[in-house]
Amino acid sequence: MAIKVDISPLLNRATNGVRTTEVNGDTVGQCLNHLVKQFPGIEPTLFDKEGELYYYVDIYINRENAYPGELAKPVNDGDELSIVLAIGAG
Amino acid sequence: MLTKHELERYDRQIMIEEFGEEGQEKLKRARVVIAGGGGLGSPAAIYLAAAGVGTIRIIDRDRVQLSNLNRQVLHWDKDIGRSKVASAAEKLRNLNQGVKIEAINETITEANIPQLVAEFDLIVDAMDNLPSRYLLNKAAVEKNIPFFHGAVYGFEGRAMTIIPGQTACLRCVCRGVIPGEKFPVIGVTPAIIGCIQATEVIKYIVGIGELLTDRLLIYDGLSMQFTEFKVKKDPDCEHCGHLVKGE
Repeated sequence: MAIKVDISPLLNRATNGVRTTEVNGDTVGQCLNHLVKQFPGIEPTLFDKEGELYYYVDIYINRENAYPGELAKPVNDGDELSIVLAIGAG
Repeated sequence: MLTKHELERYDRQIMIEEFGEEGQEKLKRARVVIAGGGGLGSPAAIYLAAAGVGTIRIIDRDRVQLSNLNRQVLHWDKDIGRSKVASAAEKLRNLNQGVKIEAINETITEANIPQLVAEFDLIVDAMDNLPSRYLLNKAAVEKNIPFFHGAVYGFEGRAMTIIPGQTACLRCVCRGVIPGEKFPVIGVTPAIIGCIQATEVIKYIVGIGELLTDRLLIYDGLSMQFTEFKVKKDPDCEHCGHLVKGE
């Protein structure tokens, strides 16, 4: 299942500037695991040691907030995932 | 009632069809708190003062530092070491003598926040840290004061408008930010986000347009894209969940 992923520019360093890619998976969790295989450097920023998303990582499916229980949410062919990191500077 | 001087000063915005003299009078009567006199607070305050918002209370406890000057455009070289609110108030009074500027040199705390926002119509979130933003969000929800959120990082910024009890609040959509004490930012990013916050404030006061509610707007200066994300009220939100459940 082809899912487009839009990656936060805050992860640019780990993705070598790649902002969009395609992954496969039936759930958000599977898609993110596939994404980590493409860009291993993003894993420590997205996931804690228990494999849960960090509190500052927001996932949107087709631009709708997937919280709570994001990793188990199903996705369909053609869906778009967005990875957004919460920021707080002013 | 607008004076002859005000009619001339604000002529170009009064000309806007939805705005008119009635809109200008609403701005003149409005009382706005800007929490933070830095990167976001500077453009927000400048454009709200220029637009003729009647009373602006700007709150900040910091003093101007050299490293602020790439983005905090209310503060200049000569202001280094001075309190930010004194520096901001001087510039804003020079910009528009018809606007009442209140400079509050205090740290925002849970204890003083009710006093700081009492009798004000709305709050602009121009803070630089999440705990203070949460305090403001909670106070806004409790006191039913519209809250205009903005945040920046590098070339990225975001904005969202919160109408307590009606729309998602900051706590509904933000459970924490990337750890770190010192964040990268270039001045044009808070300039854009602060102006979006000011635009939302003006629209809300005048009662025109469509507010940025239940929508998180993310600006990416590197790709020069604005993306809108749908957000919703969280029934378990610790700040506004009781209002959601009461619906």
